[in-house]
Amino acid sequence: MSIQATSASLAAEPRPTYGAKARPVWALLASPYALFLLVLLIVPFANVAFFSVHSYSPTKILLPELTFDNYRKLFDLYYLRLFGRTLRLGLVTTIVCVLLGYPVAYFLARARPRVLTIGLFLLIMPLMVSTVIRVFGWIVILGRKGLVNQALVALGLEPVKLLYTETAVVIGLVNIFLPFMVLPLMASIERIPPSLEEAAQNLGANWLQTFARVILPLSVPGLISGCLLVYSISISAFVTPALLGNSRERMAAQQIYDEVLVSFNWPSASSLALALVALTLVLMFWALFATRRTGRRERAS
Amino acid sequence: MSERYEIEIRGLVKRYSPQVIVGPISFDVRPGEFFSLLGPSGCGKTTTLRCIAGFESLSEGSIRLAGARLDDKPPHRRDVGLVFQNYALFPHLSVFDNIAFGLRLRRVAKPEMRERVARALQLVELAGLGERFPAQLSGGQQQRVAIARSLVLEPQILMFDEPLSNLDLKLRIQMRDELRSLQRRLGKTAIYVTHDQTEALALSDRIAVLSHGHIEQIGTPAEIYEQPATAFVAEFIGSSNLFPARIVGHGAPGTIVETEAGLRLCCAGNGETANGERHGIAVLLRPERVQVHAPGNGATGPNRFPGHIAEVTYLGEDLHLGLALDCGQKLRAALKNANAARAFAAMQPVEIVVDPGDIRILSR
Repeated sequence: MSIQATSASLAAEPRPTYGAKARPVWALLASPYALFLLVLLIVPFANVAFFSVHSYSPTKILLPELTFDNYRKLFDLYYLRLFGRTLRLGLVTTIVCVLLGYPVAYFLARARPRVLTIGLFLLIMPLMVSTVIRVFGWIVILGRKGLVNQALVALGLEPVKLLYTETAVVIGLVNIFLPFMVLPLMASIERIPPSLEEAAQNLGANWLQTFARVILPLSVPGLISGCLLVYSISISAFVTPALLGNSRERMAAQQIYDEVLVSFNWPSASSLALALVALTLVLMFWALFATRRTGRRERAS
Repeated sequence: MSERYEIEIRGLVKRYSPQVIVGPISFDVRPGEFFSLLGPSGCGKTTTLRCIAGFESLSEGSIRLAGARLDDKPPHRRDVGLVFQNYALFPHLSVFDNIAFGLRLRRVAKPEMRERVARALQLVELAGLGERFPAQLSGGQQQRVAIARSLVLEPQILMFDEPLSNLDLKLRIQMRDELRSLQRRLGKTAIYVTHDQTEALALSDRIAVLSHGHIEQIGTPAEIYEQPATAFVAEFIGSSNLFPARIVGHGAPGTIVETEAGLRLCCAGNGETANGERHGIAVLLRPERVQVHAPGNGATGPNRFPGHIAEVTYLGEDLHLGLALDCGQKLRAALKNANAARAFAAMQPVEIVVDPGDIRILSR
């Protein structure tokens, strides 16, 4: 009886590393970064939240009276269009990144080690150049007398206006954020054994069917993380739209920048910033929830 | 009229690089036959299988399925089922959807699809598990799903790439027997790749033994075991006493050969190898055919040698003896752990008797 009880309690014991004794260790390990976040993110963020519920005064920046006007204002047509444009450009950037990035991710995931090293280097290299410099590169290429238009003229075609348009902004954003799409996708595709593709072919699937029924569904986790990354950094992008776009068709980050540094309307900028953060968070939780649901089914034991 | 073959492979060559070449390999598989490709890793057996499935292109040669050229078709149009070593089940699909995968691609109507999947599940004794996902199944069950997934499409031939190597010993033997009875019942032509000689012997109608990219011998399990064509086959199938030897004369029952260690054996036949060679030969003596007796027990026959037991390895069911003959030849013997054998101990003097019919002459 007692022996049975002992063995049962032994079997029920959880793995010791994650027991009560281990808890102070992870707290200790995480504390430097937690402190960093507290001082440099949470506190300023609380401050932003504080600003956002106070009204603006041209002389004092802030009046000590509570108001939700700053949030109510976000539903004005101007701000709705700003958000609409921001989310739309983010979406277009994300879609273009998926279309351009998926083949690259697949190629790299199935590449031999040497090709993979070179490919990864080429993929990451643009990230080593500062955004500003890269964007100036695009100005040279897309400008009124840039490379694209010179080529069009040489071919006897009309030059087109590219620079300072939404197209230029998307091109610039895709260029910068493509690695953020390719890397998680690649990691996801790498985990799909090539034998699954062969099995699909053996069962009668051509490459398109193999892709649609095996590769794509199994790479959904990577696809979602990639999209989430690209979308969330695209809608908060500042340098690229500021330099490649025009000030009438601006994105949310440009508006926030203007309100902080040009019109000094900190309460309005704060409500705008918080709204942007809230949008991103909602999106993120939705995506995480979606991936967890599909993942649980496959791993279930 | 010549016999009709299901699969005809003629001069298959796959060149990976000038140094790495598989083939030329040629063999035929009869309808309904269970044919095994057996050999150590890197011998070309999996390459051959992948060429038939279409995952590798041939450098030379041809593959025919039921008389029609197969090697110019893309893999998804070949109609040859393949069961993968790691099963390759789709983790995002239920057992039902895994099995229905090929049927959906062929646009089989829903009621028929459901019925065929149910029948396939029943065939592999997994009825009622259609809603599970592969991760919820044991290794043996996953194996069955993989087989059902191929069977449900009723391919002309069914191929297996070391399908049992990921299972534990007991399950392996059970699945092996089930696989055999399933194949017999369906009368489906099967090609089976393995490095496990026991598996090949137990399952196959015929076996092709491969080494270094070419076929050493094709034959029934008994032929491969009893009459190995080469020293490689003898060594690879079962354990063996294989000694370089030369022919020293001819006696009443056959030929006298002498091993390099000086053991003179009288063996049946004229001493020629399968290819008619008389020089550079070796003698093969299976350990279980070596008879070990206490001295002076009255055994007769031309091959009786005094010696002693050098070591005894106790394996429960079997005893493996290392024997040292007085002439200097060392010999291995495998005995059942029963009767007189139970008394054998190291250093015990014994008389070793070999039937002349149990000795094979091979080219070295």
